[in-house]
Amino acid sequence: MRDALFMGRMTASATHELQNILATIRESSGLMEDLLAMSSEGFAHAERFKKGLTVLAEQVERGMILTEQLNYCAHAPEGCSAGADVNESVRALVGLWRRNAARRKTTLVLAPGRTGLRTGLRAVEVMDAVAAALEAAIETLPMGTQLMVSVEEQGGLGVVRLDSPGYEALRCAPAWAELAALAKTLGIGLSGGPGGQGVVLALPKPVA
Amino acid sequence: MNAKDWKILLVDDEREFITTLAERLDLRGIPSRVAFDGESALEAIAAEEPYVVVLDVLMPGIKGLEVLERVKRTNPLVQVLLLTGHGSTRDGIEGMRLGAYDYMMKPLNIDTLIEKMESATDYAMKAAAQSGKNEGQ
Repeated sequence: MRDALFMGRMTASATHELQNILATIRESSGLMEDLLAMSSEGFAHAERFKKGLTVLAEQVERGMILTEQLNYCAHAPEGCSAGADVNESVRALVGLWRRNAARRKTTLVLAPGRTGLRTGLRAVEVMDAVAAALEAAIETLPMGTQLMVSVEEQGGLGVVRLDSPGYEALRCAPAWAELAALAKTLGIGLSGGPGGQGVVLALPKPVA
Repeated sequence: MNAKDWKILLVDDEREFITTLAERLDLRGIPSRVAFDGESALEAIAAEEPYVVVLDVLMPGIKGLEVLERVKRTNPLVQVLLLTGHGSTRDGIEGMRLGAYDYMMKPLNIDTLIEKMESATDYAMKAAAQSGKNEGQ
């Protein structure tokens, strides 16, 4: 726990620095855009420059989203008396997990989630459990599949649902044992989704 | 309202970032001054009484939120626009509670920043005029 908090503090500090670096790149490319707009006539490579600056802006935006998710992850081991926001935790995890999924040619899709749901778990525990479920699902699904993740409320509990593959197939996945053990430790209920498809993780309520 | 009269102070320890931002504003006819830390920002505010301070939250030394608190105590008419990291809405919300005019996340959209600066300057000018009237009564 102590080492997770330490690594989190280090990572949080580095992500702030990265955000400053990206903001400086964005501002400098903005200045080039401004200057180009003022003097593009007679400049043979103006269009190529504009295209390059657009790519820079897009990549900065991509970097900002990634550092935001990484920053969330860095703070995730910290406890909070109100518990973790389920939607925020899942959003950060899915954002960071996309690259892992892409290795198996699986596309993760995050459904617009139910906001404001909280759980008594720490954010890092929510992320760990959902990552274990993703691991099991991705190794079970055929390559090139789309996997939908959603955050919902069921009976007053925050639940995270993966919509495929079939629940029974999931339970046979090598990674299932790890998910089941983690769920037991954290007090997370595991069940099949509607029609026996996918898996539902019912997260414990926040401590009153 | 002429942008040349806005009296803007930009504060950030990221020198390249803030001087480039000042240059971009200058290209749009908006002059500004820059400070690179909380201490020199407070000195510049006391000496020049800008209408608007664009203030980074995370700086070494005196932090942005502390600068904001002090400014609101000593120069309450000065309006502060906070700059926070992407996703750090908590600092922005805390800043609003402490009296910031508004907050923005980096990287900035310069047009949005200018809109907010114009609105904050207008508010500060009206507040200064009102304060002058009250003192005259």
